[in-house]
Amino acid sequence: MRVDGRKNDELRKIKFEVGVLSRADGSCYVEWGQNKIIAAVYGPRELLPKHLANPYRATVRYTYRMATFSVPDRKSPKPGRREIEISKVSAEALEKAIFLEKYPNTAIDVSVQIFDSNASTRVAALSAAACALADAGIAMRDLVSAVSVGRANGEYVLDLRKEEEDAPDAVDLAMAILPNTEEVVLFQMDGIITKEECSRLLKLGLKGCKMVYELQKKALKEKYMREV
Amino acid sequence: MSEKKERKVSRKIVIPGEVLTAERKKLGANVFLREGKIISSRLGLLQEAADKISVIPLEGKYLPKENDFIVGIITSEKYYGYTVDINSIYESTIYKRDLQKPLKIGTFISAKVSRVNELHEAELSNVKVLYGGEILKVSPVKIPRIIGKNNSMINLIRKYTKSFIIVGRNGLIWMNGGNIALAIEAIRIVESEAHLTNLTDRITKFLEKETKVKK
Repeated sequence: MRVDGRKNDELRKIKFEVGVLSRADGSCYVEWGQNKIIAAVYGPRELLPKHLANPYRATVRYTYRMATFSVPDRKSPKPGRREIEISKVSAEALEKAIFLEKYPNTAIDVSVQIFDSNASTRVAALSAAACALADAGIAMRDLVSAVSVGRANGEYVLDLRKEEEDAPDAVDLAMAILPNTEEVVLFQMDGIITKEECSRLLKLGLKGCKMVYELQKKALKEKYMREV
Repeated sequence: MSEKKERKVSRKIVIPGEVLTAERKKLGANVFLREGKIISSRLGLLQEAADKISVIPLEGKYLPKENDFIVGIITSEKYYGYTVDINSIYESTIYKRDLQKPLKIGTFISAKVSRVNELHEAELSNVKVLYGGEILKVSPVKIPRIIGKNNSMINLIRKYTKSFIIVGRNGLIWMNGGNIALAIEAIRIVESEAHLTNLTDRITKFLEKETKVKK
């Protein structure tokens, strides 16, 4: 049994809501356990400064930021090493899903803000960003569904909480896939595991991503049911 | 109950990456092929015919197409012409050699897209100045619904509000005279309920009710 009474292959309570910001072209709010995240998409729009524009494809600019009040101690508002890294890998994950060549010379700006956090914010943010991209009407191969898996106290668990991330033998593995092709677009790990354990976690992660995908799908379709 | 039934979603809503069919069909707009299956590339409504499948987008920016009729706003003057805001990714250009009279910044124009390059930049021709009036911005993907089959929806709004309305394919709508406030309200309803059925009936009822109250 885990800290919050979940089964090993159970996600926390997740709620996606699409189209929450009227100023953005696309947006998504997600409550993933204690995590509260808003993702907003702007574009495709003109990329400035112009020398950065790629005349063959769009450029994805992903901004992951944590609010100062999102962690127990005040987080410095200055973007740190961690945030810049997450922004980079998440942008690369989304690039795999978007038909970039349809929007030459443009920028697709994705910005996600973490308001409250309790582990696995990068995967929650990435899943929300994929919904926001679809909501912005951008042509995509697939959504991106992400989930974290890992080892805590000798158990292989899906969707880790902070307490589990801090276990003495903890391994934390963030992964994202394109759910229809099962192509892995993000795979990051903390800790040391064997090959067998890794493939076991991968299998568990794929299952988790599919569960997240169902929720994303439901949220996107619900937007148009809700407006009635 | 009957009210609820009236407002059904007209077609199936599909999301990017969703498998539409495994049959062989002609590929329409916003779909692509993967491993022999036809897949949606955008969030939209499924449009399926016997031999063709496509997705009508529900969101998205305007990308100019040749021969589109658009409405624009002059934003600046260059020595060779004018730049026009056409509600797309880039501003567009009108060349002075194609014009009889100079234009002012802030003027509303209607035009035809004469050429589009591979970067979605448009050149305009058949430029006509729209004097006075005001411009309403709507989502470009909802324009077909605002115009309606054989202009039915827009003619309906014109009839009840007695406004001059020019609808650009790019999501800009120019309006002048008549009951503009009512026209805007009606267009907003069409925009927000574009994916639902029986829209024309509901708009007719709405306009009838509103115009009666005014009298």
